[in-house]
Amino acid sequence: MTSMTVSALNLDGHGHYVHLVGPIQISLGNLIVIIVMLIVFGLAVLLPFPRDRR
Amino acid sequence: MTTTAPDPTTESGSDPGNGRGPGHRDSGTDAMWTSRLRHRIFDQLPPDTLLPDEQPAYVASWIYVFGVLTLAALGVITVSGLWLAFEGPQWWHGSSVGHWVNSLHFWSVQIFFFVMIIHLWGKFWMAAWRGRRAMTWITGAIAFFASIGTAFSGYLVQTNFDSQWIAAEAKDGINSVGIGAWFNVLNVGQALLIHVALLPLVLVLLIVWHVLLVRRHGVVPPIDHVADVSPDSGPTEDPELVPWRGAKRRYDIVKEFAVAFVAVAVLTVALASLLSSPDEKAITLQKWATAAPADFVATAASELDGSSGTASYGAPYVNLPDAGQSIGPLHLQRWAGVRVPVDAAKTFVLDPLRTSASTDPALKAALGQWDGAAAAQQQAWATAWTEALGKAPDGDPAKAVATGAGPVPALTSALLVRARSGALDGPVGLGSGFFQTNYTASVLFLADGTYLEDQAVAQNLGGNQSGMMNETGAYPGQEWLWLYTFWYQVKPFSDETNSWGANADAIIFAIMGLLSLGLMLLPYIPGLRSIPRWIPVHRYIWRQWYAEHRGT
Repeated sequence: MTSMTVSALNLDGHGHYVHLVGPIQISLGNLIVIIVMLIVFGLAVLLPFPRDRR
Repeated sequence: MTTTAPDPTTESGSDPGNGRGPGHRDSGTDAMWTSRLRHRIFDQLPPDTLLPDEQPAYVASWIYVFGVLTLAALGVITVSGLWLAFEGPQWWHGSSVGHWVNSLHFWSVQIFFFVMIIHLWGKFWMAAWRGRRAMTWITGAIAFFASIGTAFSGYLVQTNFDSQWIAAEAKDGINSVGIGAWFNVLNVGQALLIHVALLPLVLVLLIVWHVLLVRRHGVVPPIDHVADVSPDSGPTEDPELVPWRGAKRRYDIVKEFAVAFVAVAVLTVALASLLSSPDEKAITLQKWATAAPADFVATAASELDGSSGTASYGAPYVNLPDAGQSIGPLHLQRWAGVRVPVDAAKTFVLDPLRTSASTDPALKAALGQWDGAAAAQQQAWATAWTEALGKAPDGDPAKAVATGAGPVPALTSALLVRARSGALDGPVGLGSGFFQTNYTASVLFLADGTYLEDQAVAQNLGGNQSGMMNETGAYPGQEWLWLYTFWYQVKPFSDETNSWGANADAIIFAIMGLLSLGLMLLPYIPGLRSIPRWIPVHRYIWRQWYAEHRGT
């Protein structure tokens, strides 16, 4: 693993994998992105939107 | 949304939205193609529709910002991509600045898909295809698929280990349905040009079309709304079709895009600076031969006896009528034909050896013996050597008994020496010519061995590990391919002993094609298109509007 730049969080190490149902597995990186995506979607739907001051 | 009040600033005071200026009707120019085109454009998209400063009052949810965030992310992708393009494809491997710009490109793509998928979810729960807006949905869906294709071609041209492995894996999927005959994922030059020229052009045109349709038809009104409908709409008129004449709110579309662009750019810079991006070095033939000489020699022998993956592949590389995958009676791979011909023995073993035979008498003699023999004898020698290697402890060529193998041990040994020296890498090796952009031969040869796959499996990149979706290290990969890679993990596709598994690439490609078609044509599929009504997520999206119009 090589990285030309020094990053604050090193993601070049060995990835972690989560086994879901049976043989189905997903990388932790992908799982985090999908979970954050669901959370952001939920927030976008639920958070109140500013009213037009007009 | 339409606001077509006369504009006093125009010379004639005529409707500015129709594009017909003073005198045009009388001058006879209306029949001109140019005039007709201008009239059509301005009729369909008058300036206040194209760049509105207000929009219906029901457009009051954070979910609406994800469309413009997608456009903003595309802008950051374009800027970082242009920067990479100007510096060239080797820059990001050897320079800190180059690697950082590559990180910008990597994370902007991640953000692009992140916000685009949320935008798609939002539009699904709004049933945004209502009111003759089906084409808006369809163009958005096609743009989503084009984005996946563009991103995929980007992963192919990283010119690192990840792209090497993705290309080796993806070729089977692409080839299984015949597309590989025209789009060779192992040809970096072709993939790079498609990635930076053709696909972005297609994607941008699709997105422009999509955005213009959004502007033309306006934002879809709340589901089952009955208020704020045009007072002159007839009793049989669908309220979702009539132009919105109800309450409106201010909307600064240019400011919204500017803010979104800055926000995405800042987030991209932060992620690139904090997390960098993956760039594990590609495996060279020299590295393979040095790290796994037994596998290298066994692979070279299999190229000579015709048992290697490439030699027995079928279209588009080898003319073998019974080889290749099919979808039932559809033999798309075979029908596409051999358009990337590869003679495995000649290309991977014999030709590279001939370049140095004149300075190596032993090699020259071994090649002479091989060339002077009949094909059946060559096959017998190579098979005998393959079997001997299979019986040798650890496959070690030094411990194999070369009985009946003729010149083959000498040939594979000579190839190993040259590979270890680095002579097989680059233009003097398996390439053809000074300028080398096509790595089909190198990747096919490498993929015929087990070393490349062993390295990939060790990093959970194997086909049954969602490999196409994963990235080296702990980085997120192409998570938008989750459904495509999902099928490879479950039976019957994960079991190659049955016909479903043996033809998994072609069948999964067909399944994904049908599902993609289903997503695209969702507005026309009864039942599926009603899900947003049955599960009322839209009640939360438009809750402000529903609350204000309760009982109306």
